[in-house]
Amino acid sequence: MGKKDKVRVQICVGTACFVQGGADLLLYNEFLDPAVLGGCEIEGVSCIGGCKDAQSKERPPYVRIGENVYGSVNQEKLCKLLAEATRA
Amino acid sequence: MNDLFIDVDYAQIYKDGQKIGGDVFLLSRNPENNQIVCTLSDGLGSGVKANVLASLTARMAHKLSFSPMDLTHSARIIMNTLPVCKERKISYATFTIADLRMLASDQVAMNLVEYDNPSALVFQGSTSVQWNVEHIDLQRDGAFKKEVLGHSLLTLPIGSRLVIFSDGVTQAGMGRSLPLGWRLDGVREFTRTQIEANPDISSHDLAQAIVCRAHSLDRLSAKDDITCMVVYVRRPRRTLVVTGPPFTKEHDEQLVQKIKEFEGKKIVSGGTTAQIVSRLMQKPLKVDMSCWSPQVPPCSMMEGIDLVTEGMLTLSKVATALEQKKPVRSMTNDAVKKFIQVMQDSDQVHFIVGTKINEAHQDPSIPVEIGIRRNLIGRLRKALEDVYLKETSQEYI
Repeated sequence: MGKKDKVRVQICVGTACFVQGGADLLLYNEFLDPAVLGGCEIEGVSCIGGCKDAQSKERPPYVRIGENVYGSVNQEKLCKLLAEATRA
Repeated sequence: MNDLFIDVDYAQIYKDGQKIGGDVFLLSRNPENNQIVCTLSDGLGSGVKANVLASLTARMAHKLSFSPMDLTHSARIIMNTLPVCKERKISYATFTIADLRMLASDQVAMNLVEYDNPSALVFQGSTSVQWNVEHIDLQRDGAFKKEVLGHSLLTLPIGSRLVIFSDGVTQAGMGRSLPLGWRLDGVREFTRTQIEANPDISSHDLAQAIVCRAHSLDRLSAKDDITCMVVYVRRPRRTLVVTGPPFTKEHDEQLVQKIKEFEGKKIVSGGTTAQIVSRLMQKPLKVDMSCWSPQVPPCSMMEGIDLVTEGMLTLSKVATALEQKKPVRSMTNDAVKKFIQVMQDSDQVHFIVGTKINEAHQDPSIPVEIGIRRNLIGRLRKALEDVYLKETSQEYI
């Protein structure tokens, strides 16, 4: 079996996300399980654009994991989401 | 905005043990006719008494040089006004006045008046320039010595420097390392090597270097006040700050064109704006996760742009730090620090402000700091102009 591809994770660092919890997510080195962290490739992104969708039920901060965008992410939710994503 | 910039700064070390200087430096800019007047005066003695004499002299010389009055008449008034020293029974202070006016032809006209200070030095690049000085004998009633004013009219092209200093500089090291002190030739040679080693050295750094050298010749215990002033005529360093997306999409292309055409440093402040610029310039945007703080989102990197930051939060923190004159070295390494460093290294800052409203910022649950972009730019410009004496301009798109 070949080496498993890392999960691509983008944390939004746009203004709206950053002030509503995004700053906490940037501390991922501190709260994520090292095993999970090893399976991810985490980067920042200027704006995912989720905050501009008035119809959306989700709220900032937004995180993109693979192809999916998740809203209202906090540290706990990010741990859960990444644990699932790296297991899959 | 002007295509010419006159960089003036000075450095000073007081005589050892003194808390106040007998050398006084004054600088005024009159933006209406692009005139700059700088005055350096050295009062008799040291400490408070010398400071009073020098302050009086410098202030009078300064004010009078803005008036149309004849120069020799002004000098007489100054000398007649100075109080008499109790011990020495004479009234005395030296002065040098440099009156600089920008000419349309990329040059600066200088009217230099010297009285008893060491002769000023002029450099074109790193070569010392000699010029003719007209000597005017004052022949004042009550003079205790021959009073001769040196008057010269010079034209300073781009790349020239004027260096003025008090006798604390030329006499540094006297009787110690050097029998007669550093002397004019020593200062000239030192300044030449400094400029040669660093052709773009700022007035601040050059003045500082000369003063520090004089201080070390005096074995770090100055025998007199050491003051040096430098004027540097050069092209302005320009910076462009782009913040906010244009009001309509059709203007995006125009914005990017303006960025491409701009000569100088470029800052893009705003996530969406950065994405527009990145898309149209076809350069990828990469968030630099190594530089952020809980208050300020991280910077990004993009080829062709010197600094890419988040918008409103960063700008608001920059405006506050500039207004409070926070020293850069005490700041954490984040986007605000980088932004301020670029601002301080610029002479002219041009803002292009996008007027599109960000729907995401209208949410009442996000902090009040995220106000109205135009107000924020107004604060920034005011701080840059009032506190840091930068030239600023702006346009909306």
